[in-house]
Amino acid sequence: MTAVQIIDDLVARPGEGKALLDAYMADYAPGARARGMVLDRVLVSPPLWMDDQPNTLTIVWNVEGAAGWWGMRLAAGADPSATAFWETAGARLVSRARRFAAAPEDVETLCNG
Amino acid sequence: MAKFTALITLQPGADRDAFARNIGDATLAQPTLPGVFDGGDLILHRQVANEAVPSDAAIAHIDSAVYEPIGGGAHEPGLRNGVYRCLLLAVKPGTPEATVRQFESETLAMPHYIGTIRNWRLSRVTKASGARVWTHVWEQEYADIGGLLGPYMTNPYHWARVDRWFDPECPEWIVDTRLCHSFCAFERSVLNP
Repeated sequence: MTAVQIIDDLVARPGEGKALLDAYMADYAPGARARGMVLDRVLVSPPLWMDDQPNTLTIVWNVEGAAGWWGMRLAAGADPSATAFWETAGARLVSRARRFAAAPEDVETLCNG
Repeated sequence: MAKFTALITLQPGADRDAFARNIGDATLAQPTLPGVFDGGDLILHRQVANEAVPSDAAIAHIDSAVYEPIGGGAHEPGLRNGVYRCLLLAVKPGTPEATVRQFESETLAMPHYIGTIRNWRLSRVTKASGARVWTHVWEQEYADIGGLLGPYMTNPYHWARVDRWFDPECPEWIVDTRLCHSFCAFERSVLNP
């Protein structure tokens, strides 16, 4: 099976980085796991909690191929807590992005099913 | 030229095939195939803005749109015995025009990446009725149902690129989650006969 990464890039308001990550892990991660997402890694940039400048959090999840991705997507659509988290988190965010990626060696497999 | 599509939901137990046969003047009047999502029991399509739907007690609900094409193409004009798919969607009010145009442009690029889309058309709705004020109609034709349920769904351009406009978890989200995803068999191409 081909791993697909779901990558959340969260730019926290100054001083909110640690609280944002704690909220993500407490309020978002359990539901994400229930939707089939497997936590791969969490990165904090720069690697210190800043109180006057934004930290960027990069949180990487794995799912199994397109089927795993759609399973996650449809489950999230049926789970109001997923979008509720993002609405609440907005107060701590400067911006965010969600990206989907895979290893280069898996691109052809993903494109050809 | 304006087009018209109606997704007609019938009362339980109504005869879909008989209803479709009695519609008369239509480019397409076909029962939907298993797997539609809020897609009705049959699809009525006209290549002109004739909105007439026969009044019938068997009708429970209609989602419909009159629309003007803004883009499209054909890899297989004259396709026969294929599958026609229609997506009615509603972009959220207040979405900036530049964002809508980017969404439209990326949607129209889907056939470039997903080869099973043989013919396609994206349109802006001028008159809508049903569960939402539909803003766009995204139509495609496939040689068979596998092209829709297989590569269309599994190609990364769909789920890792275009879907973010539809996904409330993505910051780019602009499309109401209530969609009409409908498809049916056809004998002669609807989009490029």
